[in-house]
Amino acid sequence: MRQQQFEQENAKLWQEVEAILGNQIGQRASQLPQLYRRLCQSLALALQRGYSPALCAHLQKMVHDCHAQMYGKMIPQPLSFYRLVMVDFPCRVRQEWKLLAFAMLAFWGVAIVTGLLVWFTPQWAYSFMSPGDLEDIHRMYSANSIKEGRGGSGGDIQMFGFYIWNNVSIGFRTFAAGLLGGFPALLALAFNGLNLGVVGAWLSHDPETRHNFWSFVVTHSSFEVTGLIISGQAGMYLGLALLRPGRFSRRHALQRASQHMFPVMVGAALMIAFAAFFEGFWSASSAVSDQWKYAVGGFCWLSVLLFFVFAGRGNR
Amino acid sequence: MRDGRFSIITPEGVRLLLTPAGPAPRAFAWAIDFSIFAAFGIALSMINSVTDSKTVYGLSLVLLFLVYWGYPVIGEVYFGGRTFGKKALGLKVVRADGLPVGWRESSLRNLLLVVDFMPMMYSAGLLCMLLDERFRRVGDIVANTQVIYDEKHAKRGQITQVEPMAAPFPLSPEQQRNLIDLMEREQSIPQARLLELASLAEPLTGATGERSLQRLRAIVAGINQ
Repeated sequence: MRQQQFEQENAKLWQEVEAILGNQIGQRASQLPQLYRRLCQSLALALQRGYSPALCAHLQKMVHDCHAQMYGKMIPQPLSFYRLVMVDFPCRVRQEWKLLAFAMLAFWGVAIVTGLLVWFTPQWAYSFMSPGDLEDIHRMYSANSIKEGRGGSGGDIQMFGFYIWNNVSIGFRTFAAGLLGGFPALLALAFNGLNLGVVGAWLSHDPETRHNFWSFVVTHSSFEVTGLIISGQAGMYLGLALLRPGRFSRRHALQRASQHMFPVMVGAALMIAFAAFFEGFWSASSAVSDQWKYAVGGFCWLSVLLFFVFAGRGNR
Repeated sequence: MRDGRFSIITPEGVRLLLTPAGPAPRAFAWAIDFSIFAAFGIALSMINSVTDSKTVYGLSLVLLFLVYWGYPVIGEVYFGGRTFGKKALGLKVVRADGLPVGWRESSLRNLLLVVDFMPMMYSAGLLCMLLDERFRRVGDIVANTQVIYDEKHAKRGQITQVEPMAAPFPLSPEQQRNLIDLMEREQSIPQARLLELASLAEPLTGATGERSLQRLRAIVAGINQ
């Protein structure tokens, strides 16, 4: 068949397809699958009969658009985000409990060891931080500066913005860098643990700063530290997939691992962002007494614990 | 992939041809996106220096966070796989099966920019792109996505209608296709070049220059009609 004849025979089909592609929700959109199959047939014929490259390219582009239209539609799933955060997130964290234990060891283990070290032999603090830094931190938590606070709600919002920008980004980076065999994630966790241990023990020595410090960190750390540890866990999972792909090729193992850990990363980021609210508006508030802060902090730690133990069970 | 394209076979039994985009256009697209982000950051810091308020500073950091991590994802999910930079360079992000990206793929590939950046200035990403046959960076491999050229509908040239003429000897399908292709692109080729090409076809037409071109038109009309 000559090209011109072929084009004349199919012109009506191509016009109809283009009309449907033109306005995405046309009334005749339901006919698209049928028309698309005929379009594919005409493309196959055009290629096989060796019609001109311009015609083939034109049909090829049309087929591509139809393909995206037909198979690329995302079906709205109203509860998918809820499921992701409330079911998939805790379930997958539990499922990889060994990695979680490892990540917790990296953070809490280092924190406790350095904490005890500095508590019993305070001069060790100088091996981890410079005297100037320790002085600054001490001044930050002394009675005078706590009383001053951050200078009103403006200061609170400023710090809230800073925590969002800084802490959530750290969570993301910990996750992504975990890809490199998991070690960067582990190092990031250990480094943060070390800071907590040294600073915590250093400030606990002085009765003036002791309660100021612990009442400040107790609430938001429940979400922030857990979020960080969990991003580290997710990052290590990626890194392990690269080191030990099992029966998959490394590429497939990575793809599976990242799909598997996506809800965990989202959940961890949400936790760290949530922590920023507490850290910005609650933890440093001088209107709330220390007792209240300890009580609310304890409640937050308990709810985090209960969430990861029970959430999503029986819902899978 | 000798012509720089790779194909996906659809359930309907046809191939989708996609052209992966290499490091250079993607670097330009990144540079455009980065300048937008930088301009945004400078604008925010100017607002901050004018107002000098802690509230504005805090809010602008939140905004900066959202733009830094969210801008590429929003662009890829809601604007057909394109950020401004990619749009300017005619690129788009699709899944490996040629379909539009969703939240999951887009956020994964953009989170992993952190790895692609290492140790400095996206050298890991560049190395990965150069080693991969489809120019994927680490984030693309992990999220199973692909940056391709966004092909536009090319305007099809009209073949001038003339009295058809039979070719003096049978032409192979390949030769026929080349002739039709030439005549469909007639409007976009300079006249002098067209005459030069027509003169090359002397064994077929037995003439040179304008006369040969006319005979070529007639032969193509003969093949086509």
